[in-house]
Amino acid sequence: MMWGEYSIGLMLVLVSGVIGFAALAIETDDLHRLLLLDLVEIPSLGIIALLGTDLAEALVLPGLTVGIAELLALSQIYITKERLKDKPVKGLNIEVIRLADAPIVISGFLVVYGLLLSGFTGGGVAGLGLVFFFMSRGYQEDLNMLEMASGISWAIWIFAFFVFMFLPQYWFVALMCAAVGIVLKVTVKMSLVGTMWGEVRE
Amino acid sequence: MSNIGGVPFYILEFGDELVYFTPYTITLFLLALVFTLLVILSRPERQVDIAFGGDAYTTKQISVDEMRFRRFMSIACGLASMGAMVTGDIFNFTLFTAMVGITNVGIVAAVKSPHVQNAAYQYGLVALSATVPLFGAAAVYAASTGSLSMIELAGGTLPAVPVIAKSLLVIGVIGEGMAPFYAAKAEMFRAPGAPYVIMCSLSSLLIFLRVIEVVMLG
Repeated sequence: MMWGEYSIGLMLVLVSGVIGFAALAIETDDLHRLLLLDLVEIPSLGIIALLGTDLAEALVLPGLTVGIAELLALSQIYITKERLKDKPVKGLNIEVIRLADAPIVISGFLVVYGLLLSGFTGGGVAGLGLVFFFMSRGYQEDLNMLEMASGISWAIWIFAFFVFMFLPQYWFVALMCAAVGIVLKVTVKMSLVGTMWGEVRE
Repeated sequence: MSNIGGVPFYILEFGDELVYFTPYTITLFLLALVFTLLVILSRPERQVDIAFGGDAYTTKQISVDEMRFRRFMSIACGLASMGAMVTGDIFNFTLFTAMVGITNVGIVAAVKSPHVQNAAYQYGLVALSATVPLFGAAAVYAASTGSLSMIELAGGTLPAVPVIAKSLLVIGVIGEGMAPFYAAKAEMFRAPGAPYVIMCSLSSLLIFLRVIEVVMLG
């Protein structure tokens, strides 16, 4: 079939890519261009995701990581370039999400759903819930606790790999350990990103 | 197997992913290796400004912190180039290329001159947008041939790679630091410190030489 799902998806991604690049060409503000670039990055992940196999998932992750790394590097340069270092940032001062109950409900839903999903995706979803919660509330949490949880989950993950390698007959236990480990790890990592928003720069 | 720059001397396999050394890739690899060693060993030059109308000149000072960071970034850039030279996997090649783009920005990002910072930022925007065609190309390679391995692509048993995938790959590599987008990058070279800045040029030159081989596969 000439117009299979893959072709249609590819066409959609192409169109959104073209729209993104057109916006990029029109925009002149440096910060807006950086944000638009992040938007343009999504279609490229879309092209990979369209493969629809396990390989695609394995390829999306490094692609995403590279994109985030470049974004962080560029925003750091932007901060130095515009001399923004001396302006402290304290959370998101958006009245609506700070005062209402909605953040608790939404982040609670995301965390529960993420735990049900488990694995890398689940960690991402649950972490997103926590990021949203920390961003809307500001933070007074103890970061050491989060870091410790991250370390322990990392250890569980590595332990699971050793079980896979040396005791393959217990693969189911190892699978569960790896799934729990990675869900905790990604959740904690993402919630740390959420709390760093409120960091006062020296 | 004859069209991938000669018969491989050695193929290092990690399951599906592999690294291979042919006369072509090994030459490029050694070039990157030698230059990385030079970067590790050498001390940065101090840029000289000559005042016209007299015989006065000044040299720019480079702080130790700045030098350390830039040396680290140059070494990272060298490692990424070496990886890109010998990898036998299309997706790894695009990842290494994207990493060369990041480290190129990093090499000059520590310089305090606003002019250089601005140029680095603009170049970074181009490099970031170039990851779209790069990863897109790798995905179309996988979708149309079912393999990302260069050895298998060169074997001739797989379906031909569509021209669109090849052109996307070349556009991506060009965006990471080649000719038409070079304007912003040339401005970055106003940053003082010779061996590190030259790493920017050398790495993109090597990547370009390698992508020619990659495009000729399959």
